[in-house]
Amino acid sequence: MLSKAAGGRPAKPSFVSYVSPEEIHIKEPAGKEVNPYLLPGELLLCEASTVFKYVQEDGSNRGTYGKLVCTNFKVAFLGYESASDDNEPQFKNKVIGENDITLHCIDQIYGVYDEKKKSLYGQLKKYPEKLIIYSKDFRVFHFCLRCTKEEEVKRIVSGIVHHSQTPKLLKRLFLFSYASAAPNSPDAKNRTVMFDTFKDWHEELERTKGNVKYEVVSVNEGYRVSEKLPLYFVVPKPFLKSVTESILVHQGRGIPIWCWSCHNGAALLKMSPFPKEQDDSALQMPKLMDGIYKTIHAPPYEVLKMDDLSSSLPSLQDIQTAYTRFKQLFLIDNSAHFWDTDVKWFSLLESTNWLEIIRRCLKKAIEVVEQLERQTTNVLLIEENASDLCCVISSLVQVMMDSYCRTKFGFQSLIQKEWVIGGHSFLDRSNHLRKSDKEEAPVFLLFLDCVWQLVQQYPPAFEFTETYLTVLSDSLYIPIFSTFFFNSQHQKDTIMSGESHNAQSSPFRLLTVWDWSVQFEPKAQALLNNPLYAEKPKPDKSQRKTTRFKHHRQLSLPLTQTKSSPKRGFFREETDHLIKNILGKRISKLINSSEELHSNFREFYDSWHCKPVDFHGLLLPHIEGPEIKVWTQRYLRWIPEAQLLGGGTVAITAKFLDVMEEVQKLQKQMDEEHSQTAAEDADAVPTLRNSARLSSLFPFALLQRHSLKPVLPTSTWKDLEDEEDLAKRDDEFVDLSGAD
Amino acid sequence: MLPAAKSSFKVRQQEPGAGPRGPKFSNAKRNRPCQAFPGIPGEFVLEAAPGVRRSLGASLRFDSIPGTLFCTNRRVAFVPDVPPGAKAHPRCSFLHSEYDVALPCIGKLVAASSVSKAKVLTASSSLKFMPEELVLYCRDFRVLHFRFPESGLEPGAFRVTMAIARAQESDRDVAAWSDSTQLRNLENAQRSPEEEGEEDPAPTLLFKSLQDWEQELRRLGPAGWRVSVANERFDMATSLPRYLWVPGQLLDNELKRAFAHFNQRRIPRLCWRHPGGSDLLRAASFHAASDPEKEDTRAVEALLLAGHARCVVVDTVADLPSSTEIQLAHVRLRTLCSPDPAVADEKWLSALEGTHWLDHVRACVRKASDVAVLLAERRCSVVLQESDDRDLNCLVASLVQLLADPHARTQLGFQNLVQREWVAAGHPFAQRLNLCRDGDRGEAPVFQLFLDCAWQLLRQFPAAFAFTEAYLLALHDSSYVPFFSTFLFSCQWERSRGGQHRASSQLYTPVNGWRDAANLEILPQAPVGGGACLPPVWAWALHYSAQQRAQFQNPIYTRASDGHMAPPGCSKLKATLSETGAVFLLARGGLAPQPHLFPWKNGSLVKKGPWRVPSSDSLNDQWGWPSSCPALPGAVLVPACTGSAIQLWRRCYLRGSPERQRGLFPAMLTDLTEELELLQECLNDGHWRATSPPSPAESEEAGSPLSPSR
Repeated sequence: MLSKAAGGRPAKPSFVSYVSPEEIHIKEPAGKEVNPYLLPGELLLCEASTVFKYVQEDGSNRGTYGKLVCTNFKVAFLGYESASDDNEPQFKNKVIGENDITLHCIDQIYGVYDEKKKSLYGQLKKYPEKLIIYSKDFRVFHFCLRCTKEEEVKRIVSGIVHHSQTPKLLKRLFLFSYASAAPNSPDAKNRTVMFDTFKDWHEELERTKGNVKYEVVSVNEGYRVSEKLPLYFVVPKPFLKSVTESILVHQGRGIPIWCWSCHNGAALLKMSPFPKEQDDSALQMPKLMDGIYKTIHAPPYEVLKMDDLSSSLPSLQDIQTAYTRFKQLFLIDNSAHFWDTDVKWFSLLESTNWLEIIRRCLKKAIEVVEQLERQTTNVLLIEENASDLCCVISSLVQVMMDSYCRTKFGFQSLIQKEWVIGGHSFLDRSNHLRKSDKEEAPVFLLFLDCVWQLVQQYPPAFEFTETYLTVLSDSLYIPIFSTFFFNSQHQKDTIMSGESHNAQSSPFRLLTVWDWSVQFEPKAQALLNNPLYAEKPKPDKSQRKTTRFKHHRQLSLPLTQTKSSPKRGFFREETDHLIKNILGKRISKLINSSEELHSNFREFYDSWHCKPVDFHGLLLPHIEGPEIKVWTQRYLRWIPEAQLLGGGTVAITAKFLDVMEEVQKLQKQMDEEHSQTAAEDADAVPTLRNSARLSSLFPFALLQRHSLKPVLPTSTWKDLEDEEDLAKRDDEFVDLSGAD
Repeated sequence: MLPAAKSSFKVRQQEPGAGPRGPKFSNAKRNRPCQAFPGIPGEFVLEAAPGVRRSLGASLRFDSIPGTLFCTNRRVAFVPDVPPGAKAHPRCSFLHSEYDVALPCIGKLVAASSVSKAKVLTASSSLKFMPEELVLYCRDFRVLHFRFPESGLEPGAFRVTMAIARAQESDRDVAAWSDSTQLRNLENAQRSPEEEGEEDPAPTLLFKSLQDWEQELRRLGPAGWRVSVANERFDMATSLPRYLWVPGQLLDNELKRAFAHFNQRRIPRLCWRHPGGSDLLRAASFHAASDPEKEDTRAVEALLLAGHARCVVVDTVADLPSSTEIQLAHVRLRTLCSPDPAVADEKWLSALEGTHWLDHVRACVRKASDVAVLLAERRCSVVLQESDDRDLNCLVASLVQLLADPHARTQLGFQNLVQREWVAAGHPFAQRLNLCRDGDRGEAPVFQLFLDCAWQLLRQFPAAFAFTEAYLLALHDSSYVPFFSTFLFSCQWERSRGGQHRASSQLYTPVNGWRDAANLEILPQAPVGGGACLPPVWAWALHYSAQQRAQFQNPIYTRASDGHMAPPGCSKLKATLSETGAVFLLARGGLAPQPHLFPWKNGSLVKKGPWRVPSSDSLNDQWGWPSSCPALPGAVLVPACTGSAIQLWRRCYLRGSPERQRGLFPAMLTDLTEELELLQECLNDGHWRATSPPSPAESEEAGSPLSPSR
C-alpha cells in the first residue's frame, strides 16, 4: 500500500506541513532544534533526526519530518514543524503527548525490509527502512527511516527494541527515578479510600453494615502471615478467635476473606484454597477448617455457598488468547487492511471470543448477585491466589449491587480494595517487566470492559463516563503511578523501604493514578464526569421523586413473592441438609448443581428485567447476544474510518450539556430571584461548544483537523478536472490499474 | 390484467355473503359481558373472546393486561378492560398501534397448550386442543402474546383462534377498501380524532398537484429547471408521476421524444438540487430497442447533462443487493430475531452476519454517501440509473437527500421526500410489501431497508434529525397496515384510479405494450385525488395518540445552519468547465470515464473492466483531500460504513423478545424532560413564594431546549 503510493504518481502535497519523502532536501531542519519535554528523572537515551512519520490514517505517503527520541520513559516523535495549533485539543494528557508512547505501552514493534514486515526483537543484524510501532492503547505509528543517518537508525532502533522489550528489574522502573526526582508535592487529600489502614477497612465494614459479623484483623502486620495478603483484612468474627495462629502455616490459604456485605446481611467472601498436595503439617487443617465453616454456616451467619471460579470461568490463558486476537482487529496498518478485516467484522469478532468471556463474567456476577440478594446466602469465591477472577467477579458484584461503587470515588475505592490492596498481580499480568509472557493476562482490562458494558447500558447510573474508563485503562501503562505497577502491597512496601534505605534521602512518595490532576487539566477532567448521572435523590428534595424511588426499591426484593418464597424455603432446607451431611468431607459438594443454578438465574434475571430500572438500586446488565458490544471508544478511537463528524453519542452529550447548563442558569436565576439579589453573570462556558462538528471519537481522535473526508480517490478527481481527450485517458487508466 | 381485477371483485362480492354472519355474531356477543367493539365503518366482528390476558412475553413472569380479543374482518384487536371506577380510555377507533394487528400483517399464528405442542395455524388447519396461549408473529416484527386463563371460557378461546386462523388467509380483498361508501365513512372516522388536535401548520406535500411540485422546486432553487406537464394524463408513462422536473430549456415536444429511449419510459428527471449547483437525477436504463446511432438523442443528452458539462452515471444496481437478496436477508433476519428458536448468545454475531441484512444496509449507506460527497464537491449532474428506476433508485435518491439536505431531516421534509421519491415516483409498494398476498414473488422490503438505512444515519448523527427512532418505527409498522393509500398502490396512476385496476401484472408493462393500456381511456374525470379516498400514512393522528406523536420529535435536534451550503472550491471549478459533455460511470467504488457520450449496448452502460477496483474499500483509500478544506457546516453528513458502525435496529427487530427490548434506553430523553419539568415546577413554586409574576422570557427559556426550533 505504502509502496504503491511512493512508486506511483507523487501525491500533491495537500497540506502545508505534510511533505512526501521525495522532497527531503527542502526539509532539513535549518538550525531549528527540537527538544523533548522531559519529566523529572527522565533521561534521553538515544535519538534520530529526519525521521519521517506517516499520517497514520490513510496509508498514503503523507506525513511529517521530525526527531525520534527514546528516553527511559517513552518513545517520542517531535515534529520539526511545531504544530502551531490554532485549536489546542480540548482533551490533552499532560504526561503523554500525542506522539508519545511510554515504553510500557509499546505492544509490538515491526520493521519493514523490502516491503516485508518483520517483528523486531533481540539483537538486530539488519536495520529496517521503516519502523512500525503498535501501542497498547491501539495507536499505530509508522516511521520511515530512509532519510535518517545509518548510525542514528542503528542506535534508535536497537534502543527502542532494547528498552521496550528486554526484561527489566523492578527497581529500574521509571516510577522510582521519577519519584526521587520529582518535587515532593504535598499529598493532596483524595476522597478515594486507599484501604492501607485499619481505619479504612473498619469504615468500609460500617458502611456496608458488615461489622456485626465480621471484623478487621491485623495479624498480618509486618506480613507475618502472608506476603500475598494485605496488612489488614476482614474475616468472620469467630474465625478470628479460634484459628489465628494456625493460619500462619498456610500463608493465608483457606481463610475466607470478606469482600462486601449485602444490605440483607449476606456477605461476599473470597478464599484461595489449600494446595492440592498437602504435606503432613497441613493434614489437620481441613478438620480445623470444617470447624470454621460450621461456625460461619450457622446463625447468625447465612448459609454458605462456594463457587470455584476456576471451574466456571475461562482460564487466564483463555483470556490472554482471546484478547490477543481481539486487539489485533484494531491494530490497523492502513485503510486497505482495515477494510479487509471489516468485511467479516462480526464473525471475526465472534471468533476472538473476547465478548463471550465478558458475557460469562457478567453472567457469573449475576449468579452471585442472585445468591446474595434473593437467596440471602453467603457466597465464597474460590480461586488459586484469589486475586484474578475473584477480583473481577467480586468487583462486578459490588458495582451491580452497591450504588456507591458507581460513583467516581466509590469506584476508585473499590479498585483499591479489591485489586490494588486485594493483591492483583498488576506487574505480572501486564508484563511490565517483560519477564515472562506466561503470566500475562489482561484481567483488569476485562473488568473495565465489563464495567463499560454496564455503563453503556445504564449511563445515568454511573457518575463517571466511558472516557473515564478509557483513560483509566490507558493509565495502566504510565509508569509514574504506583497503582498498577506492583504485584501486592507487600512488594510495594518492601521495595519502598529498601529504596529509601539505600538512597538515604527523604522518603519519596509514589503518585497514585487517582490524582487525575497529574494527567489532566480541570477542563479535561470535566469530561470524566457524567453530566447525566442521576444523583441519589436527597430525602427533602422532591416529594414526587422519593415516592417513585420507594416504589422502585422493591425491585431489590424478591419479586414474585407468591411463587418464589416457598421455593426458596425448600431450596434453603435442602442446602442445609446437604451441608450438614457433607460438610467436613468435601467442600466441593457445596457448590451448586448447575441446573438449579441456571433456573434460579434465569428467573431472577428475567424478573428483574421486567421491571423499570432504579439507577440507585440493583443493576443487572443485559447479557444476550446483541447486548454485549465492542467498547468503541477504547478500541476504535484512532481509526478514522470509524469517525463521524458531528455524530455519535458525543452529539447527544454535547446537547445535554447545553441543556444542563441552561437549566443550571435558570436555577441560579431562580435562586437570585428568591434572595432578591440582582447579581448577574451568565458567562459559564459550556464544555462542548460548537459540538455540531465534533468528531464522534472525541475526545480522542487525532484527526480533528482533517475535517471532511471525501470518499472518492483524488486521482480520479484529477481526471475529472483535466480536459484532455478521453481516449488517451482510457489508456492511462489501464496502466494504472495494472500498477494496482 | 383484467381477470385479475375481476377476481378481486369476486372476493369482494363474497363479502356481503359473509356479512350477515357479522350481526349474528355480534348479537350473540351481546349476551356476554364483553365490551362493545368500536369498529371502523364496514368492519364487523367475526369472533370475540373476553377474559383474555395480553402479556408482554412468553412466560408467566411478565405482566399481563386483561381484556377482550376480537377478530374482525379487518384485524385482530385487543381491547383492555377498563377497571371499574377508572375513566374509560378514549380509544383510537381506527387502528391502535399497540394492540391491533391488521390481518395482512399477521406473519405466523401459533397456538400453544400445556397438553399439546405448539401448532402453527393456517386457514386450513384444524385445532385439536383448547389453546391456552396464542402468539401472533407480525410481519413488522411485533410479537403479541395472548393467554386464555382457565375461566370456563375456553370455547370462546377456541373460536376466536380459529376465526383468526381463517381470517388471516381470506383477506385478499383489501382493495375493497377503496369502495366509496366505506371510504366516506372512514373519512368521517378520520375526522373525529383530528378535531381534538390542531391541524398541521404545513401539510405534507403529496405531489399529486402541480402546486406541490412547483412549491418544492422553488425551495430547491428553480434555476434551470421547470415542472413539465407532459405526463399529466399519464399518457407518456403510467408509472411516472403526472408532473416531472426537467431542464428548463427543454420543451415538452422535445421531451416527449426522450421517453421511448428508457425502460418503462422513465426518463431522467430531477430529484434534488444541491445548493452548490450539482443536480441529482434518476432514470431507468436505456431501452433495449433504442438505438443512438439511428435516432435523435439530443433530448436524452440534454436530460442527462442537465446543463452541466459533466454527467456522472451511477449504476445503482452495482454493489447493491437485488430485491431477491433483500427479501432473503429479511426473511433470515426475521428468523434470527424471532424469540423462539433463539440463537445461542455466543453465536449471535456470526448468525447476524449470516443474514447479510447489515451488509445490504451498509452497501446502501455507502453508495449514498459516495453520491452525496460527489454532489457536494463537484458541479455536475449525477444520474442514478437502475433498470426500472423503481426500487433501489428510490432508496439511494432519498438516502442521498437525507445526507445532503438538512430539510429532509425534518419530519415534514422527510415525509415530502418519501412522498416524492417513493410514492409519486412509483415504487411498486403493492408488490413489494405484498399486503394483498397476491403471491410472494415480487415481495421485497426495499422500503424497510431504506428505513433501516435512515435509522443508521439517525443513530450516527443523533442531533441532525428532527424526528426520532420512534417516528421511523411508526412508519415501519404503518407500512404493513393496508389502510393507507400510500402503501397500497404502485404508482400515482393506480392511486388516482382508486386501485380499480390494481394488479401486479400491470406493474412492469413493457414500453411497447403500454399504448394499449392508454387507449382504454382510464383517466377518471373526477378531480385529482377524488378516486383515492384512503388517507395517506401521514395522517398520524389516525393511529397514533398525541402522546406517541410527541415522541416523534427529537428534543436534541440541532437545526443545521443553512446558507453555508456552497462547497468551497466550486467556484474554481466553474472556470474549468468545458463545453463538451463528458460522461463518467460511478460503479464499484470508482469513477470511469465513458469514451462515448451514450455508450449503451443492450440496454445498459458498458462497464469498463480495467478500472474496476477489486473491493469497494478503495473509495476511502488514499484520498488526498486538502486538509485545509473546512467541513461544510450542516451540509453533508458523511456516515461511517464500518462493520462496527452499522448496527442492528434493535428496537425494531428485537421487539419480539421483551427481555431484550427492555434494556434499550429511551436515550435518556425522559431524564431530561423530567429535569425540565421539575425545574418548571420549581419555577412556579418559586414565583408563588417570591410573589413576583413570572417573566415571560424566563418561562420561554425553560421550554426552549425542548423546542426543535431553537
